[in-house]
Amino acid sequence: MTSRRSTMTTALLVDLVTNTADPGYAAAAARRGPGAPRRWFDRPAVALGCGLIGLTLAVAYVHTHRAAPTAAKVHAGLVARVKAANAAGDSLDAQAQRLDAEVAKLRAQALPGTSIGAELNRTELLAGATPVTGPGLRVQLADPHKPTRSPGDRPSSTPITASQILTDRDVRSVVNELWHDGAEAIAVNDVRLTPTSAIRFAGQAVLVDFAPITSPYTISAIGDSDVLVTSFADSDVASRYHTLASANGIGFSWNQVSELHLPAMTTSTPRYARPGSTGGSR
Amino acid sequence: MIAGLALVIGVVVGLVLRPTVPGWLEPYLPIAVVAALDAVFGGVRARLDGIFDSKVFVVSFVSNVVVAALIVFLGDKLGVGGQLSTAVVVVFGIRIFGNAAAIRRHVFHA
Repeated sequence: MTSRRSTMTTALLVDLVTNTADPGYAAAAARRGPGAPRRWFDRPAVALGCGLIGLTLAVAYVHTHRAAPTAAKVHAGLVARVKAANAAGDSLDAQAQRLDAEVAKLRAQALPGTSIGAELNRTELLAGATPVTGPGLRVQLADPHKPTRSPGDRPSSTPITASQILTDRDVRSVVNELWHDGAEAIAVNDVRLTPTSAIRFAGQAVLVDFAPITSPYTISAIGDSDVLVTSFADSDVASRYHTLASANGIGFSWNQVSELHLPAMTTSTPRYARPGSTGGSR
Repeated sequence: MIAGLALVIGVVVGLVLRPTVPGWLEPYLPIAVVAALDAVFGGVRARLDGIFDSKVFVVSFVSNVVVAALIVFLGDKLGVGGQLSTAVVVVFGIRIFGNAAAIRRHVFHA
C-alpha cells in the first residue's frame, strides 16, 4: 500500500518535471491538423495575451520598487525630526549656560571678595555648574569595530549584541572607580556629571543625564593625576577591561593629561530639598 | 514579431500608468508574475515546436492565473495560503525551467 502510493507520488513528480510543455498546445495541434489556415483571431489574441503579460510584469516591478522608497522616506523623516529636536535641545542648553554665566558674573559683582562668594564658587564647582580645568586622567572605552557587511546583506542581519557589547554598566563602573580614586570632576563624552547625574541605558544608546552618547566613550576626570593613574591602573575595573579588550576586541586605554577642560552642566534648582538644621554648610 | 511588440507595449503601459495594486490583490501578484512567465516560455516553446496556438496561449495564461489565485485564495481562507502560494510558485517554476531547457535545445541544439 505504502509502496504503491509512493510510486504514484514519484510518477507525479517525474511527470511534473519531464512534461513541462502545456499539453493544450499538442492537443490543439492534433485537433487542427498540420498546415491549418490562420484564423482571424490569431494575431489579436497573441497581441492581447502578450500585452497582458507585459502589463503584469511591469505592474509587479513598479509595485515592488515603489514600496522601498516610501519606507526610506519615513525613515529619513524620523531622522530629521530627531536631529531637529536634538538641535533645539542643544540650543536651549547653550542659552541656559549663557544665562548661568551672566548670573554668575552679576553675582560676582554683587559679592566682591566676600567669603559667601568664595563659598558659592566652591559649591558650584562641586555641583558641576561651572566649567573646570585641571590635570587628570582620560579613559577611553570603545566598542569593537563592526564586522564589515557585504552590500547585499540586510541591515538587520548583523546582531547588535555582536558589535555593541559596552553598556551603561561599563561606563558607570569606570566612573565609579574614578570617583573612588579621588576624582573631583568627571565628564563622559563632554557631558559633565553632577550630583544628580544618572548613567542609564535605553534602546541601544547610553544616556548620561538624558543625553545619548555613543562609542567611543571618553571619560575625563580631574584630580591629582598621579594618584588617579596609579590607583586606576591598580583597580579591578582596569584589569577587567584589559581582559575584555584582549578577549572581545573592545578598545580600552587611558592616559594622564596635564590639562583637561570639562564643560559646565546646567543644574536644576532644587525645589524640595532644603538645608537641614544640623551639619550646616560644612 | 507582433508578440514581442505587444509585450513591449504592455510593459510601457504598465510603467507609464503605474497603477496602484489594491491591497486585497497584493498576495496574488507573485502568482500572476510566475504564471505570466510560464505562459511566455510555454508559448515560445510551442512556437519552436511548431504547434503554437493563439487560443491555447491566451486561455492557458488567463486560466492559470485565475486557478492559481483561486487556490491561494482558498488557502488563505483555510490558513495555508502561504504554503499553497509556495506550491504554486514551485510548480510554475519547474515548468518554466523545463520550457527554458526545451527552448535552449531548439535554439542551440545542445
